[in-house]
Amino acid sequence: MRADLLRLFGLWRDRRGWLAAGAVVATLSALAGIALLTLAGRAVADGVAPAAIFAGGAAAFLWLRPVAVLRPVLRYLDRLVSHAATFRALADTRVWFFRRLAERLPAGVGFRRTGDLLGRLVSDIDALDRVYLGALLPAVAALSVVVAVALVLGAISPLLALMVAAPLALALLLPPLLAPGAAEAGRRVAAAQGSLRAAVVDPLTGIEDTLASGAEGLAAQRVAQEGSTLARAQRLLARRGAWGGAAGSVLTQAAMLGAIAWGLAGGAEVAGVVLGLFLATAAAETLGLMPRAGAALAAAGASARRLFEAADAIPPVTEPAAPAEMPKGFAIRLEDVRFAWSPDRPAVFDGLTLEIPEGARLALLGPSGAGKSSLAALLLKLAAPQGGRILLGDVDIATLPADRLRARIACLTQDARLFDDSIEDNLRIAKPDAEEAALWRALDAAGIGELVRTLPEGLKTRCGEAGLRFSGGQARRLALARVLLSEAPVLILDEPAAGLDPDTERAFLETLAEATAGRSVILITHRLIGVERPTRILRLAGGRALPAMG
Amino acid sequence: MSRQMSETDRAARALLGEEARRARTRLALPFALGVAQVTAGIAQAMLIARLIATLLGFGEAGWAELAAAAALAALSAGLGVAQERALTAAGEAAKARLRQAAFSRLLAAGPADERPVGERAALVVDRIEAMEGYLTRWLPAASLAVAGPALVALAAGLADPTSGAILAVAGLLVPVAMAVTGLGAAQASRRQFEALGRLSGRFLDRMRGLPTLVLFRRQDAEAAALSTAATELRRRTMRVLRVAFLSSAAMEVLAAGAIACLAIRHGYVLGAAHPDPVAAIFVLLLVPAFFAPLRAFSMAYHERLSASGAAAELAPLLSAPEAEPGLVLEEMPRRLVVTFTDVRLSYDPTRPPALDGLSFRVLPGETLVLTGPSGAGKSSVLRLLMGFRKPDAGRIALNGQDATLLKPSELRKLCAYVGQRAHLFRGTLRENIRLARPGATDAEVEAAAEAAQVMAFARGLSQGLDTLVGEGGFGLSGGQAQRVAVARAFLRDAPLVLLDEPTAHLDPGTEAEVLDSLRRLCAGRTAIVATHSRAAQRALGRVLEIDGGRAQGARLAAGD
Repeated sequence: MRADLLRLFGLWRDRRGWLAAGAVVATLSALAGIALLTLAGRAVADGVAPAAIFAGGAAAFLWLRPVAVLRPVLRYLDRLVSHAATFRALADTRVWFFRRLAERLPAGVGFRRTGDLLGRLVSDIDALDRVYLGALLPAVAALSVVVAVALVLGAISPLLALMVAAPLALALLLPPLLAPGAAEAGRRVAAAQGSLRAAVVDPLTGIEDTLASGAEGLAAQRVAQEGSTLARAQRLLARRGAWGGAAGSVLTQAAMLGAIAWGLAGGAEVAGVVLGLFLATAAAETLGLMPRAGAALAAAGASARRLFEAADAIPPVTEPAAPAEMPKGFAIRLEDVRFAWSPDRPAVFDGLTLEIPEGARLALLGPSGAGKSSLAALLLKLAAPQGGRILLGDVDIATLPADRLRARIACLTQDARLFDDSIEDNLRIAKPDAEEAALWRALDAAGIGELVRTLPEGLKTRCGEAGLRFSGGQARRLALARVLLSEAPVLILDEPAAGLDPDTERAFLETLAEATAGRSVILITHRLIGVERPTRILRLAGGRALPAMG
Repeated sequence: MSRQMSETDRAARALLGEEARRARTRLALPFALGVAQVTAGIAQAMLIARLIATLLGFGEAGWAELAAAAALAALSAGLGVAQERALTAAGEAAKARLRQAAFSRLLAAGPADERPVGERAALVVDRIEAMEGYLTRWLPAASLAVAGPALVALAAGLADPTSGAILAVAGLLVPVAMAVTGLGAAQASRRQFEALGRLSGRFLDRMRGLPTLVLFRRQDAEAAALSTAATELRRRTMRVLRVAFLSSAAMEVLAAGAIACLAIRHGYVLGAAHPDPVAAIFVLLLVPAFFAPLRAFSMAYHERLSASGAAAELAPLLSAPEAEPGLVLEEMPRRLVVTFTDVRLSYDPTRPPALDGLSFRVLPGETLVLTGPSGAGKSSVLRLLMGFRKPDAGRIALNGQDATLLKPSELRKLCAYVGQRAHLFRGTLRENIRLARPGATDAEVEAAAEAAQVMAFARGLSQGLDTLVGEGGFGLSGGQAQRVAVARAFLRDAPLVLLDEPTAHLDPGTEAEVLDSLRRLCAGRTAIVATHSRAAQRALGRVLEIDGGRAQGARLAAGD
């Protein structure tokens, strides 16, 4: 847990100014709090006593009023600054996490449940505010209070200082002592929350299939189950927090009673007792919260752990340490490539050799599962072959940075996704600075320009999540337009005509050659309809590519 | 707009009020424990005041009082633990009920609820948690914030009436200060929740499309956009907190003021000739005890703000009737005649209608193949028959009875459906198929898998049908996921078969095999198949071409 928290502070490095400011204000506010009550106690004791018991006479009254004004102001600033600091740090964490996932899981979320991941980013990162707000800041403030109490009372009697400050110091030490035990409880809560969210997201994502199967009851039952698992975990964590709170209140009471016991036992001056009593009473507010910070720290530690676990997934393809120069040409050659998605799955390619000269139009046929999509993954470095090599313009792509490579090869994948933005924004993903005329050209080439023109909001029409506001075929053509808009010299089109009606399919394939003039095209398809005019046709079978006829 | 706002506010308040009423009996125990804790604190302050007065030279308290004070401290800690346990128990019951209610309504709303999945999931997870804060922290804190200070002020007044009055005035000013500072907070809170929901929705959307973003090298730009969204969230949250903290600062002002007033009264005004030194110390020691419940209340105040934001979002969902309206099937018909008469459907008033007066009839044992360009309305026909949508006009009849009178879930009992984007749930292939009929035996599941050509690829997997597939069907190609959905339809064994592009993503060889089994699936049932595939059109049956939401050559297709 410690390693995770330290790594977290590392991520917050850039915000240390804000974070330190929060700690300073919190300390001042806590000190003003104990000063106020102690000054009042001293004033009353001094006032009612028959003879003066404090040196310095009416000094308490002199200080009482400014401190009474300062304390609320400091308290307000304390909360404001500390929250502003936390939110800044958390926003940084959020972005860092997204970048990491893009790097580590470029091929998508796969077995990691998307709902769970969403929970990780939003809840876990939010939970991290407890590290600073719930644990670090109270600890700094409480430490300053304990030191102040020890110094003030130490000047009167070391024994009195010990009797009051020792229980307070113990209350301060409780959180780190309790944290490891609470860590497990915190981990369970965070995990249960993730599972609950996944149990909600999965049936909603496939809502049509959920309803079609009449699986509403099953889904609701699963959610109820995950909900009660979460409740159990939260109960254990709350119980720990409650006991921590009880320990905190007992310890601060012990400090108050300790001061009185010192007086009853004949400890010299009554002034010391009064100071000790009111210092301890005032310190209770700051320190009473400390033991709970242990549970908070543990929960945040668990969130940090899960966050880093996801962020540390091993990237599918390691980046070259010393990247080679990007080649000028864009001819592609595969030499004796061997590949399987995992050791326990059958090999997809077993000695695949293939050549795609610049400007070629290759049609790649084969039954589903023959590895047509795997070939795209290899070319885009979403996966790495176990043997053989892949060359782009005579340079092994293993030596090229994936990002630069992807600037050369654009791909319409089977799961190409439209985002919940406008048509225009979705297209510009391929080329952010594209002119509007270029957008229309791409839409026309994909055979959807006409439809977009009839929409009242035109290019500004929102697509909905996963393009749900369009029919399957329309969404597919928008995704296709996006690929055509990109400037990459090599295009991989994986089933570009899936979901199109035959007339649109024919019209699109007839204009494909024109729309992609000068570029290499790898057309992955189940079958040819005779208008594609490929320069070469290959059929994938048994892990190799064989020349084929239509 | 403002009218609409107040409408939402009213619904949110009604929901919170309803929940508070339900929770009342469960919250009685923690409330009583809290009152006991305050009483113990008062008694302890009295003992300590007498001890200090003794040290100052008034009265004779000793070790017995100290021991009693220590015992009270232990008792108070114990009461605190018991209170917290009682609160947790109360919150759990309420959350489970609310969550179940919200989730079942989201399921009932089905695909018609077009909000992103992340946003809807946040309703069931995060908003419910916010409601718990309201029930288990704010409500008890609110009642203790009245009872606790009242008890303390009473005790102080008995010792010294003026001091009691000072505390009472400070206490009465607290709600005034809170009302003044809390005015804008409710609105700000709602905006903050909207921002949080947007961030969740946006992230889930981008996460699902991560491969697309990476392939177009837009991950950095997206990260920057995410950062902007997070900044916006911070601004909104800070706006809420600036106000929420003002109310707690107002209380600090009152607390500091009360301390100063009491110190001046007892130390300066009454001074050395004080009639009751014990009371002087006692009332000063009571100040922290007086403000502790108010402070807890103030800390819980943002729970209330969060809860009213959450309630505003939950109220429209939860106010929908628990059970969907509609008739229940009396018996499962074996044969179905499906008739569409002049059916109209529009998703979006700014766009051309999806169905614009469509009429046709399908008889038992007959398969109707719907063709036409994408967007022509083929899928809409199937969605209507699945009860995902209601038609705007026209009549859909099953065996002559109006189908829209049936409960949607009852309607779906008649149908086996394969949608365009088959979804595989997290679980094994076997579980995914069995979903269609949970009581099916292993042999029946395997037969369905065989018929849908799932076995053709499942045999190549190391664990066969027991292979785990992820959310969204990770590890399977689009065509393979489609075949799993077809297997579900086989297992379902329903009189009406609805297939939306069942052979998209399949190569011709597999397509021919799947079509062969689909023909067997459709045999003897009423079937409607939307497809572009020429092979499917040839293989399956009578073709009805639709375009622009109408049947082409409608006379012929409308049946006899």
